[in-house]
Amino acid sequence: MDKLASLLHTTPAITWMVGKVLIVFLSVFLLASVWTWVERRGSAMIQDRIGPNRAKLFGRWPILGLSQLLADGIKFFFKEDLVPTEANKGLFWLAPFLAFVPALMGFAIIPFGKSFVCDGQTYHLSVLDPGNGMGLLYPLAIGGLAVYGVLVAAWSSNNKWSILGGMRASATMVSYEIGISMAVVAIFMVTGGYDPAEVIKAQGHQPWTWYVVRQPLGFLVFFTCMFAETNRLPFDFAEGESEIVAGFNTEYGSMKFSLLALAEYSHLMTASALIATLYFGGWQVPFMADPPVMLSVASFLVKMLFFAWVFVWIRWTLPRFRYDQLMHMGWKVMLPMSMVNLVFHAWRMSQGH
Amino acid sequence: MGVIVKKVEMTWLDRTYVWPVLKGMAITFDHFIRNLFTSTAKRYTVQYPDMKREIPDGYRGLHELKRFENGAIKCVACFMCQEACPARCISIEAEEFSDLNLTQGLQEKRPAKFSIDMLRCICCGMCEEACPKDAIWLRKDYELAAYDRLSMQYGKWNLMNTYAEADGKEQISQDPTPSVPRRTIAL
Repeated sequence: MDKLASLLHTTPAITWMVGKVLIVFLSVFLLASVWTWVERRGSAMIQDRIGPNRAKLFGRWPILGLSQLLADGIKFFFKEDLVPTEANKGLFWLAPFLAFVPALMGFAIIPFGKSFVCDGQTYHLSVLDPGNGMGLLYPLAIGGLAVYGVLVAAWSSNNKWSILGGMRASATMVSYEIGISMAVVAIFMVTGGYDPAEVIKAQGHQPWTWYVVRQPLGFLVFFTCMFAETNRLPFDFAEGESEIVAGFNTEYGSMKFSLLALAEYSHLMTASALIATLYFGGWQVPFMADPPVMLSVASFLVKMLFFAWVFVWIRWTLPRFRYDQLMHMGWKVMLPMSMVNLVFHAWRMSQGH
Repeated sequence: MGVIVKKVEMTWLDRTYVWPVLKGMAITFDHFIRNLFTSTAKRYTVQYPDMKREIPDGYRGLHELKRFENGAIKCVACFMCQEACPARCISIEAEEFSDLNLTQGLQEKRPAKFSIDMLRCICCGMCEEACPKDAIWLRKDYELAAYDRLSMQYGKWNLMNTYAEADGKEQISQDPTPSVPRRTIAL
């Protein structure tokens, strides 16, 4: 670390920071793009199809359809980049980034491995070190920003379908955010702090002390609301093939469309990382009080990718909701359930548990 | 007439919504696992240019003009198929020849030209039905595409040689017996 820092004419702290940022965001980016492949192949298998397997790398290696990703990337890069004449050009350009950046930024707070000490210095495996004062309020706030990506994309393209899709999506996100916050507040209350390191430490290494066992109702609410938050089925109201064409991204093409799609998958990754951190003990390895660092990273990755897979799995299992059903569920089911959860745990704490 | 619709009674477990979702997920996961351990060649999808379905008997594809052992065409140019064709895609030109065929008696008429416009043909099989000599068959070749319209006009020799290779017969390009010049009766 010191040698690398002196080679780059910086301090070790800055090198470590830059390294972390690069590793975390690049791997989330990479995972998000690989997850488009998982989605396509996985859905194909669930529906007894085959999925993409025709594209071949150098005309020779299909590598299980993974070369389709490269082909799609190249195609998106070289497609004509159309901007509608009536669109609000500046916002139209900005929207994909507004969608993509918050989706990645939420990941910054999540510890993806155990902190370790090397040469008398403690290294934390999360982009934002613990004790920064923002804690898990930060991904919630950033998650609120994600609405802008969808809404700005919809509004700037000056298309009725887009606007309808954007409005529905933003209404969904806003109403389900309350459920999320309430569920998370119960966790903060039980933990006694909102720093992810504290939350993970409070959960311990025994699977039955994780918050999913201690607060099953809260988990259910949080998990369901995350689907609405990431705009995925069964709550994908930004889009609607039969009603509003492609919804908020109707007017988008080429790389901008690709970025919007990637934003959705990065959001999915961040959401599953949040679920793993909040309810499944983050990097804790089951039955190991003091796991090695690499094992803790692997444990976190396994949990996160499992939930990312559940997102895909649910998408190809459930039909969509109707819009009124969605609102009914958000306000009359999810919100009361998270409140019951909160009150119940507050009562339990008052009883001295 | 009223139909009594039976209302599905939902148990409290179904009403939670969580349990049915889990059941649904079990079904999709079952499909996922089953397909994960099946090679793509064995799944339901027929990956067309690489894999082909087995064509059932009685399929009506490209025509074949049948021939005798010696290579003589079975068709006697009776124009029945041309009459029967609803798409009007068959056109025949007859010619005279003389040949004592031991199985069919004395043959003296055969098509000089026999062409099927495959752009118009609807593969209905009426020509096969109409043929008194069983000389035209619709068989299993269905990949009928070409880059230009002219190559969709199938002539007599095309139709006679279509399935020659598949049946282990020789390719032929002329009739075994020459045609007789048209007799004109001098009055």
